[in-house]
Amino acid sequence: MIENSSSQPNTIKPKVPNTERISLMTKPRLILRAVLAVLGLVTVYSLVTIDTAGLKLGDAFHSLGINLKAMFLQPNVGQDSWGVLLKALSTSIALTILTTLLGALIAFFIAVFTARNLSPNWLANTLKAVMAFIRSIPTIIWVLIYSAVMGLGANAAVVGLTFHSIAYLVKAYSESIEETPQATIEALKASGVRFWPIIFQAILPSIVPALLSWTFIRFEINFANAVAVGAAAGADDIGYYLFMASGFYFNFHEVGLIVYLLLGFAIILELISMRLRGHYLKQN
Amino acid sequence: MLKVNQLDKTYGQDKHSLKSVSFTAQPGEVTAIIGPSGAGKTTILRSVNQLIRDDGGQILLDDQDIRQANKAELRKIRHHIGMIFQNYNLISPLTALENVLHGRLGAKSTLAGMFGLYSTAEKTEALALLAEVGLKDYAYQRCDQLSGGQQQRVGIARALMQHPKMILCDEPIASLDPKSTKIVMDILRKLAREKKLIILINLHQIDIAMSYADHIIGINDGAIVFEGPTAQVNDAVLQKIYRQATEQKAKVAANEA
Repeated sequence: MIENSSSQPNTIKPKVPNTERISLMTKPRLILRAVLAVLGLVTVYSLVTIDTAGLKLGDAFHSLGINLKAMFLQPNVGQDSWGVLLKALSTSIALTILTTLLGALIAFFIAVFTARNLSPNWLANTLKAVMAFIRSIPTIIWVLIYSAVMGLGANAAVVGLTFHSIAYLVKAYSESIEETPQATIEALKASGVRFWPIIFQAILPSIVPALLSWTFIRFEINFANAVAVGAAAGADDIGYYLFMASGFYFNFHEVGLIVYLLLGFAIILELISMRLRGHYLKQN
Repeated sequence: MLKVNQLDKTYGQDKHSLKSVSFTAQPGEVTAIIGPSGAGKTTILRSVNQLIRDDGGQILLDDQDIRQANKAELRKIRHHIGMIFQNYNLISPLTALENVLHGRLGAKSTLAGMFGLYSTAEKTEALALLAEVGLKDYAYQRCDQLSGGQQQRVGIARALMQHPKMILCDEPIASLDPKSTKIVMDILRKLAREKKLIILINLHQIDIAMSYADHIIGINDGAIVFEGPTAQVNDAVLQKIYRQATEQKAKVAANEA
């Protein structure tokens, strides 16, 4: 214990004039609290007056347990075979690879004209606006739109997925291109190098890690989309079997197996992308 | 021979950057442009290869007017004008050798350039040029792993790969330490002497200009106030070149006091 030597510690007290009440409750805070209070009341009211339609919670949780057990502890192939399911999974993977590669290739060339440091402002802005419009509509909707044009099936899935991938990657790529320093581009321009050699010899090597990273993220997105699209557009991929097993045959064993298959592929994908990124980051 | 006649450049409405600038630079000589900051040194250098479009005048390189050239001709002319920069402007993830080979891109067709198809002779030449600037052992190093002085030498090798008539140097030693400065300046002088190149160089450091340049162009506020051999540069001339800068400083100091 350290004892205070003086009985009266030397404190500094500011002289406070006697003013009216000081409140820390500002107007925005007041509004926020009022909104939270109203939301709380609504929640309590709806919980109390909810129509359970004679649902017995105990039974419901019991059957949920049984279904989850059937899905994740007793997975099996159901009415399909391993061969069919693995083939369907490979269809999904093929769909993903095809749409990502096509999208990446086309997106790179569009991105060159969308980057502000390479193309005139009017062109860059127009392309940016068009791409933003395409991006704002979800992939599934584009697939359905193309299904209306081309009929349900793999074709509509490929075109729809590629379409949205392009719009997504153009944004990512063109922003990467815009980050390359103008000075290095100028150095080659000053030695009389043409436009496309500058793109491929100067800009591309500088942005490979960024491009790779973005393309891989899109690959993952496209895989998830391919599964969903398979069910919607009937592309005969793993998503279609998942849809049939869960919504048509109610075979939860098969649903569980398909979920495990998807999970396994997602893990493999993650490992590959980590490896690739590690490789390119080491080089940088 | 480079001959610049009555070059004019105006930025915006009435801010004159270059006022009727005329000078000549001879092959085999180091020509240095000196002057206070903002006097127009960089504008002159960048007008010579038309990275900056000027407003009027004549730029004759071996009697061909660069200002009259169309796009394709300009590209051809530029291919024979090397340029090195204060910040080197190399493609940093690529190796030194690849950066030197970039000097040949301007001579290639679009496709060959896109895919970087170089002949064995070109690769041999690139390696020889790297050896010439003392970087043979660094040929396969990424450029961002090289020191500033080494990067600048890669830049010089890249310029030489263009088989240039002239090398423009925009503040080539501004970011270098004294030792690297000496190496780079020695190389540039040697190139002028041995390969009969026109070396046109922007410099901040008067002492470096005095010891390396054969020919000095003094510029002040966009106009040439001195042109002649280095031997003729004395204190009076330097005072004239840096006149306004010191006057302005005095004025600012007077205002602050």
